[in-house]
Amino acid sequence: MFWILIRRLTLSLLILFLAAVFVFMATEVLPGDALDVFLTADDLAVMEVEEIEEMRRDFGLDRPAWVRFWDWFSGVLVGDFGKTFIHEVPISEIIWHPLINSLLLGAVITTITFPFALLIGILTGYRRGSQEDIIVSTTAIVGYSIPDFVIGTCLIIVFAVWMPLFPAVIIAFSDSSPGELLAVSLLPALTVIIGHIAHQSRLLRAGFIETMNSEFVERVRLSGIPESRVIFRHALPASVIPMLNSFAMYIAGVLSGLVVVEKVFGYPGLGRELIEAVSRREVHVVQAITFLSATLVIVMNLLADFAVIILDPRVRSLKS
Amino acid sequence: MKYPRVLQVLTHSPGTMVGVTLVVVHVIATLFAPLLIPFEVTKIVGPVLSSPGSVEHWLGTDNIGRDYLSRLLMGGRTSIFVAMVAITFAIMFASLIAISAAYVGGIYDDVVMRIVDTKLAIPGILFIALIVTGFGRSILALIVAISLSYLPGAIRIIRSHALTIIPLGFVETAKLRGDSLYRIIWNELVPNCQEIIAVEFALRMSSSILTVSALSFLGLGISPPTPDWGLMISEGVKNIHTHTWLVLLPAAFISSLVIGLNLASDGLANALGLDAARGIN
Amino acid sequence: MQLEELTEMLILETEGLTIGYRSVNRQMVRVVNNVSFELEKGETLGIVGESGCGKSTLARAIMGYLRPGGQILGGNVRFKGTSMQALKLDELQSLRGRQIAFVPQNPLSSLTYHMKVGDQIDEILKIHRGLNRHDAHNETLKLFQSTRLPEPAQIYQRYPHQLSGGQRQRVVISAALACLPSVMILDEPTTALDTTTEMQVLQLVKELRKEINTAIIYITHDLTLTNYMCDRVLVMQNGEIVEHGPASSVFECPKEKYTQDLVAAIPRVDRPPRHKKSYEPENGSVLLEVKELSFAFRPAWSSSTLFKKREFSQAVDQVNFSIRPGETLGLVGESGSGKSTIANLLVGLLAPSLGKILLEGKPLPLLAKKRTFEQRRRVQMIFQDPLSSLNPRQRIEKIITQPLRAFFGISPRDARDQAAKLLEDLELPLEFLEQFPRQLSGGQQQRVAIARAFAAQPDLILCDEITSALDVSVQAHVLSLLTAIQRKTGTACLLISHDLGVVREVAHRCVVLQEGFVVEYDTTEKVFTDSKHPYTCRLLAAASRHE
Repeated sequence: MFWILIRRLTLSLLILFLAAVFVFMATEVLPGDALDVFLTADDLAVMEVEEIEEMRRDFGLDRPAWVRFWDWFSGVLVGDFGKTFIHEVPISEIIWHPLINSLLLGAVITTITFPFALLIGILTGYRRGSQEDIIVSTTAIVGYSIPDFVIGTCLIIVFAVWMPLFPAVIIAFSDSSPGELLAVSLLPALTVIIGHIAHQSRLLRAGFIETMNSEFVERVRLSGIPESRVIFRHALPASVIPMLNSFAMYIAGVLSGLVVVEKVFGYPGLGRELIEAVSRREVHVVQAITFLSATLVIVMNLLADFAVIILDPRVRSLKS
Repeated sequence: MKYPRVLQVLTHSPGTMVGVTLVVVHVIATLFAPLLIPFEVTKIVGPVLSSPGSVEHWLGTDNIGRDYLSRLLMGGRTSIFVAMVAITFAIMFASLIAISAAYVGGIYDDVVMRIVDTKLAIPGILFIALIVTGFGRSILALIVAISLSYLPGAIRIIRSHALTIIPLGFVETAKLRGDSLYRIIWNELVPNCQEIIAVEFALRMSSSILTVSALSFLGLGISPPTPDWGLMISEGVKNIHTHTWLVLLPAAFISSLVIGLNLASDGLANALGLDAARGIN
Repeated sequence: MQLEELTEMLILETEGLTIGYRSVNRQMVRVVNNVSFELEKGETLGIVGESGCGKSTLARAIMGYLRPGGQILGGNVRFKGTSMQALKLDELQSLRGRQIAFVPQNPLSSLTYHMKVGDQIDEILKIHRGLNRHDAHNETLKLFQSTRLPEPAQIYQRYPHQLSGGQRQRVVISAALACLPSVMILDEPTTALDTTTEMQVLQLVKELRKEINTAIIYITHDLTLTNYMCDRVLVMQNGEIVEHGPASSVFECPKEKYTQDLVAAIPRVDRPPRHKKSYEPENGSVLLEVKELSFAFRPAWSSSTLFKKREFSQAVDQVNFSIRPGETLGLVGESGSGKSTIANLLVGLLAPSLGKILLEGKPLPLLAKKRTFEQRRRVQMIFQDPLSSLNPRQRIEKIITQPLRAFFGISPRDARDQAAKLLEDLELPLEFLEQFPRQLSGGQQQRVAIARAFAAQPDLILCDEITSALDVSVQAHVLSLLTAIQRKTGTACLLISHDLGVVREVAHRCVVLQEGFVVEYDTTEKVFTDSKHPYTCRLLAAASRHE
């Protein structure tokens, strides 16, 4: 089993490296470099050519691609993401607090989503085809079809306009304390949670149905084991394992959802930073945030795979 | 031979029929919108933020003074167009790449899968944000970005389906007959991946429309003054206390279209016996 | 007094039992129709039938269990006098596993893969017999011993996929016996096993029967098995009981036509062949020769095999044999013996690591893509699973005309005519040309596959277990059609099968393969009647013990 884990880890590191290359390359295919993207027509009118060239040299953009990549990548590994164009602030300072805030929000979302999705998935899967199942399943499809920003905006309308319980716009600073943030993260979290519970419960339902129809569940039932034990001891573990395989996609989905929701509610997270960086055309900031997200996805995927390797005896002894 | 049966199962499911109806209504509305609208969508034709109910402007005007009804009816065209083009290209390339990678195997397959894994690690919106930062907010950039964004996920799913087909007897028979690589892919493999490709197309359509709307809302997608539902929602948020419908109406339009697409593709997947609940990026 | 004794003897009875399933288009299809039988204490009853006759549904219905969509339309099942339909779920649950036990067909997919094997039996003991953890553990070990599992303590800690097929089946039998049930139902328990393993499991059941006095219902498609194992037998067709009686008399003197046909179709290992084979060629002429053929599996490098030890497994080891024009050479062996690998090597799907293949004295390039057109045309292959060997999206006409056009370049009209003729040879109606594979039955599909193979007018046909997935009666028909075409065209055939009876019926000479080695290579009659090799004798003994 040890070697299987090592192999999986190596693969992840490879993908991490490729992701770095990917993120870096995405801006390399531009005609011109990051500075060209950043400077607006107004800037170009105002600045002298030598000024621009000096800026270019300052930021090291005149060097060949692989040198820049290596520089950037080795910096990233120790947490140095370079500097912004405006004001030359270290990017790592800009994104540190938003990163924590987003992680907090993401954690809230994930911890609430899964238990509920599991419950709904199992209940509807068990009573497949019944009235309740059809109603809940259709509601779920509607649930994940409505865009996050629509749900968010509607929640604002309901809870801030019609019933002034929450402030419509969050005034929180990047470095607010976790306590303050938790209170303020309720509506944004709820927005994402609705869609995610809807979607995940459908996935779990499908997996659960498949498991309940499998031969080993039939045999256990025919052995007279009570239904509750059949479900919890036999069927449930078997349906959870395939769920872990789509965990990476799920995390990527959460991150995408965060971007939207942070904009809607003004939550001081990484997503909001991203949007601002795009509007200011700060290429390096966008790169940094994208790479961090990719890293998070890869790490979570690795953990999920580890969990599968540990939990699924068939995978564990593949080599023996 | 199988299609009559599939149609029968589809028509028996009320959810699916509702979905198909919604989609059809939207498609017709989108196609005929230019003929129906009373005013030009980008022209300022009235007072700012007038209330709905007037004879001239059934739904009032927006925050710049453009006729709201016209903008609402035309709001889906661009995003549907972008989604359709992007997904069509994505599925086409994904099918070819996925099936050939599954069949040829070896280093080619390995490289493809590593690239797919890498891209899948980057969340959709961030990937598109990256491209939009570099290339600007043109429609073409949007189409390319969305296409590239959905390509790897589709490749992975189609490839795993192709892998179940390739070891089958009739493919080996074709190999032994001396059929060329292209013949085998085109005659034996692609026809047997039809179902998964159709379901993938439907599902990706719905999620890409969601994505385009979200991007427009965030200011990364379709740029003003083109009317787009997502864009209109972000414009309407400023006046949400007083003019709530400016947000609710486009929201309802987007939602109904995506709900319709999802209901329909869910029903389609069930009828074809495939795993209904796939990942939405 | 007598009546009470009689009812005490009756453990189980069904009366007019009718079961139906709702199909996809909401129609009710009857799967079991008006079935009545009785089971006495301690007796072994066989239920025999081909696929789709309803025996599996019946087996589960006896336990009060129906697959989703199933409904009891009429009749009843009584266990020890109590009607099963009247029982509530918890009452059923206390009966199942305790008084009526079930042994399913496929032990690998029937055992919970994420639980240790010992724990799964403990569970039954704890729930039905109320044992605590310690006692249950000991009892499980005792059960493993009684089913002759080697090293019970080790087996206890293993997961299902870590055991062999025979071991798994014994585990499942232990689970069934855990509470000393009055009735044990076995649903095709040995179909997934090798011949020799099958024999061991059957012997085990026979011995246990003597020790425990449990009534047994044994479900199978194989009449020779019921002859070996059972006291009485029921023959089912299309959901109805066609014949019943003492097992040996039903087998030896069947009264109903269906049963007679069924028995006649069984290829016998212990009797000389009854049907005509293809023509016996003259000595000296050789069509295909295989010299020192060897093959080892070596997984290719890819990122998924990083750090994995690259294990070599020798699948085929220095095999020599030859095939003469027009003859049928049988290739027998158990699963894993390398038979399919040899077929793949001959046809060029795999390249041998060593050795040569000679076609009429000239060496054949090893991989199909390096061979010439002619060389590829002359050797054709037919696969085991008929449905997957035909492209589901192509009509039968296209399937058969493809090789005709590829190898002979004839026009579509001529190809269609030839295809029609081939269908005729295989006794298939012309309308089939327009149909798709899924609309045909398994036997018909396999005949199409044969037609396709013969369309190329090959000199040699490789048949890799082509009838193993078919019912016995269909099998006999397909084989007779095959030999008829062989006689007509003079095509030689390499017939691969694990079923010794089939080989005896059809092959002139045969090769016995054990773990990649040729163990015996002689005329069929010699091998079957006068073999000296211990492995062959073991195989023959296992196969004929049924009879």
